[in-house]
Amino acid sequence: MNRYDVVIVGAGPAGLSAAIEAAKNGMKVVVFDENSKPGGQLFKQIHKFFGSKEHKAKIRGFKIGEELLKEAYDLGVEVVLNAIVLSLHGEKELTVKVNDEVRHVKGDAVIIATGASENMVTFRGWTLPGVIGAGAAQTMMNLNKVRPGNKILMLGSGNVGLVVSFQLMQAGCEVVGLVDAAPRIGGYGVHAAKVARTGVPFYLSHTIVEAEGTDHVTGVTIAQVDEKFQFIPETEKHFDVDTICLAVGLSPMSQLLKNAGCKIVEDPKRGGVVPEVDELGMTSIPGVFAAGDVSGIEEASSAMIEGRISGAAVSEYLGYITKEELEEKIKVNEAALDSLRQGMFAPKNRGKLVEKTDEGIDVSMNLLKKGFVADEEIERFPGVTHRVGIHPVMECTQNIPCNPCQEACKKGCISIGSNITSLPIVVENSSCINCGMCVASCSGQAIFLVDEDLGDGMATVTLPYEFIPLPKEGTKGKGLGRDGKPVCEAEVVSVKNMKAFDKTNLLTIKVPKEYAMKARFFKAV
Amino acid sequence: MIISNDRLRDIGEFIPQPDDDILICRCEEITKGEIRRACHDGIFTMEEMRRYLRNGMGLCQGQTCSKLVKGIMARELKISPLDLEPATSRAPMRPIEMEIYARDGGNVG
Repeated sequence: MNRYDVVIVGAGPAGLSAAIEAAKNGMKVVVFDENSKPGGQLFKQIHKFFGSKEHKAKIRGFKIGEELLKEAYDLGVEVVLNAIVLSLHGEKELTVKVNDEVRHVKGDAVIIATGASENMVTFRGWTLPGVIGAGAAQTMMNLNKVRPGNKILMLGSGNVGLVVSFQLMQAGCEVVGLVDAAPRIGGYGVHAAKVARTGVPFYLSHTIVEAEGTDHVTGVTIAQVDEKFQFIPETEKHFDVDTICLAVGLSPMSQLLKNAGCKIVEDPKRGGVVPEVDELGMTSIPGVFAAGDVSGIEEASSAMIEGRISGAAVSEYLGYITKEELEEKIKVNEAALDSLRQGMFAPKNRGKLVEKTDEGIDVSMNLLKKGFVADEEIERFPGVTHRVGIHPVMECTQNIPCNPCQEACKKGCISIGSNITSLPIVVENSSCINCGMCVASCSGQAIFLVDEDLGDGMATVTLPYEFIPLPKEGTKGKGLGRDGKPVCEAEVVSVKNMKAFDKTNLLTIKVPKEYAMKARFFKAV
Repeated sequence: MIISNDRLRDIGEFIPQPDDDILICRCEEITKGEIRRACHDGIFTMEEMRRYLRNGMGLCQGQTCSKLVKGIMARELKISPLDLEPATSRAPMRPIEMEIYARDGGNVG
């Protein structure tokens, strides 16, 4: 029997963070993961993360994974991959399959950070090859460099559905539409907006009737549903697609905890069958902890903090740190966790229609229904102002926990304040120097630099651009509106890329000045 | 509160539905109709269903279908899915070759 101070199951954001914290406190730590690569879902997240600077906001997910892994290895954490934990018993003994043997391992404490798995929905044809989970599509393209298909329909408008749709387009796929049975988009408006402005239509209150094809998907039919989610006759729409991605939620993988005899509850707000845990993540079995999605579906940023808390808790539980030290660590982390759980997408608001921002501004209903803020709605948000010369326009219209833009502007043009979920405002009498750092720092790709009047009837709009091929200076094309429809002629006048932009290119397009506040994407013709 | 165990409760007749032939458990190839009919045969818990039809007993161990089965059963039994207790989880959590499992000597020697 191999003995450790703490055995951690799952090398994702929660598990690795817990391992780092425990190892820092001098514990002997082992982490088992059934996959061949560590990092859980982090290594397929190629987008920049939301949150605050202290919690790795604006860093791309896979970079966060690399940082965590390096830190864990530097601290002497043993990470065992291709290691399938077969069982967990109340006495904190685990059996683990590694290569072709079953190992028995005992920890004085155990942290379960097994994460979640993708939900499925059924419709005629759902078992055809070509119907895949959105997470699976992401694994194919971002980890294994295989394009999942060419023409794709996405079901589910939560953050997973939105982010994966965008990444599918980055991989060169055509996304024919984003469908959700709910009447409103579930994920962040900024994620929806960056998909919508490329021209992808959103079909809310719609779901899949049937996937067509005999031995693989060749098409899909969707139809509108009523409030009771029943199909409305004669609302069918057909698309030729070769792939259907399902992004219909995640379920905690809590089987090991159940196997160990931990008290389990079913809590739809936490995503399904989850362990009962105290504020430190300890389950009903002393010394067995749960952290991350396994104890309630949230974002990776929250999982990392939860991991840190359970890593500290386990250190105190086994006497590696004092109660006072633990309390100090908890205070810092709880505050961070609390700030991430504020705003419109806070767990307490799940499923609720939030009609006003914290600032008392009417939320854009067009954004919730169609994926973009309508031209007549955009002016009411504090990040959208007009002035002479170049200035930032922040189309950030929902209270989400994110503030890198504030830090990005060295000239102090942008302010969010101490409340991380507040909408960014343009600071009066500040002077924009057109450095572009704010545009590149915005994980939601919602910041633009606009010069509304060049004096010759034209204007410039600088926008974030993360597609290939990258248009060159002088490329002529169309300026697309927030809805992805062509609104005007446009010409690329500059393409900027610096190391600090972290692979977000800044495209400056010249458009007629009446389109300065309308054109938000560029398409070469 | 497990009211789903009340065997005397009348859940009505089995009424065929057009999508009864849709596969729900892919690993063991169990259809929606089979699950619905099983409820009328007197299967009122997820644990019983698994033993009766073998749904959730295949390669993925119910990772894909258990939520789906739960929904279908709840509708058929006219109860909330929250009233259906999930099936027991047992070791091994993942499929494992018998050859390897049989060699498990508990790290002796």
